Amino acid sequence: MSELPDVRTFPRSRTLPLRLDVLCISAIVAVVLVAASWLTVLNGDRIQQHGFFSTETLERSLTFLRDLLGIGTGRTPAFAQWEEWRKAATLAYDTLAMSVLGIGFAAIVAFATFMFGARNVMVGELAPYGSWVWRVVFVLVRGLYIAARGIPELVWAMVIIFVLSPGLLPGAVALGLHNSGILGKLASEVVEGLDPRPIRAMRSTGAGHMQVMVYAVLPQALPRFMTYLLYRWEVIIRTTIVVGFVAAGGLGLQFRLSMNQFHYTAIAMLLVWYLILVVGVDLLAAGLRRLAR
Amino acid sequence: MKARLLESRRLLTLILVGAFLWSLLNVNWAEGLVHPGGLEALGQIALALFQPRLSPDILAAGAQASWTTVAYAVTGMTLALAIGLPLGVVASGVLTRVGWVRRLNVGSARFVLAFFRSIHELVWAWLFVAAVGLSPVAAVLALGIPYGGVLGRIYSELLQDVPEGPLRALRGAGASEWRVLWYGRLPMALPDMLSYTFYRFECGIRSAAILSFVGLGGLGYQIQISLADLNYGRMWTFVLFLILLVLLVGGWSGIVRRRLVV
Repeated sequence: MSELPDVRTFPRSRTLPLRLDVLCISAIVAVVLVAASWLTVLNGDRIQQHGFFSTETLERSLTFLRDLLGIGTGRTPAFAQWEEWRKAATLAYDTLAMSVLGIGFAAIVAFATFMFGARNVMVGELAPYGSWVWRVVFVLVRGLYIAARGIPELVWAMVIIFVLSPGLLPGAVALGLHNSGILGKLASEVVEGLDPRPIRAMRSTGAGHMQVMVYAVLPQALPRFMTYLLYRWEVIIRTTIVVGFVAAGGLGLQFRLSMNQFHYTAIAMLLVWYLILVVGVDLLAAGLRRLAR
Repeated sequence: MKARLLESRRLLTLILVGAFLWSLLNVNWAEGLVHPGGLEALGQIALALFQPRLSPDILAAGAQASWTTVAYAVTGMTLALAIGLPLGVVASGVLTRVGWVRRLNVGSARFVLAFFRSIHELVWAWLFVAAVGLSPVAAVLALGIPYGGVLGRIYSELLQDVPEGPLRALRGAGASEWRVLWYGRLPMALPDMLSYTFYRFECGIRSAAILSFVGLGGLGYQIQISLADLNYGRMWTFVLFLILLVLLVGGWSGIVRRRLVV
């Protein structure tokens, strides 16, 4: 007995059991969620007229693919007509403009607010002492971010179309609103991860809070802000078509009309334009990101 | 001084501001931007925010729609994992050393992943619904494919970015590339991979909510019909449901991520 060390006197790790707890519970919850969700989905499928897992699905998919490629429809496929390509090109141009406008709105809102949504400089260790005003501003900004990004672009667009007349603007505003929440949150987190020393140095020379923000926080956070901006642009260009479904601008509107008219060869052509835009913006953003470094 | 005038960041700022101005030119400012009666509608919508309808049947419909949305998001994420994990491993190119085999594998896996994620989930959904009809499985595919593309890309980057030392030790002990992956790369990359997966799950909730636009139920469907009825109070109730759901999942993923990445 005596030559063995008593296990009870071993120093215990205080974090390990807690870690296991949270992760264990999460794992159990995840497994239950996955099982229940698949049951729900498969049950919902069972009450359909044609279940998804049947030969019917295969046949219909093949028919759809043939329709997309314009085989056996008797009409000239849209993608074989130069005129259609030219018309779609102007729509693609509009879509590109909508995405830039949207990211522009988001950038303006996020740029004006992101520093006031950062915990460390507003309520944390780098905040001015005894000022409840900044605290209120912080809560307000964070609340706005949550609301803005909690509502998807498409829902924003559905609401905004009640106010603004159809075109590029409502789509861009919807994209801007949703993405200002996302961009703002990402940029605030950049500020929270900044090196605190330059900020303290500024403060110790007697700078006021706004001076600290503009001269110590902003220059440090700006390069990352630009990187995130370009990264969000890549995401936005994919979403522009979706917002266009309801905001009636660019490729999205034409996609919706062609779908409703079962004009599937036009859908194929619009998808090609969509992919050209997505790949083009990806390449462009990657090039611009190199400038931000 | 002259060299600083066209410094790369200043150039970037110029390009971005220029692009924004160009996009402003494309808006048709001449015609009425706001609907006749649009401002009135805006006022009504804003007022309705403070009077959401909270009657039991609407709350029940909200709970029901929330569950549908969660179910789509969860099943979509499982499919995304099934796509992203194997393709991500191949795209990271850690399994093969031979030059041309490696290039072929990595290239084709990257291409497939890029194609999957370049089309928005709602566009996938519409294509699936047009092809096979309104099955909930179409929703799972529509979410799973683009999310699988994103996960695969991030996984491949995370698997490449692990520290080289422990891997060399494993290889020195005679481990095959599979074992190096299983005992070296995966355990080291796992916290970041899980953390990112949880973050995507949060996004998946929002994406699942809008799938109803093409007829696959959920919270978005309720929002859509409330708007069609001009019933703004009802719409806000469902929007609040959506925000709460996103916050709930965000809180959960936040707790897990803080535990994972210390």
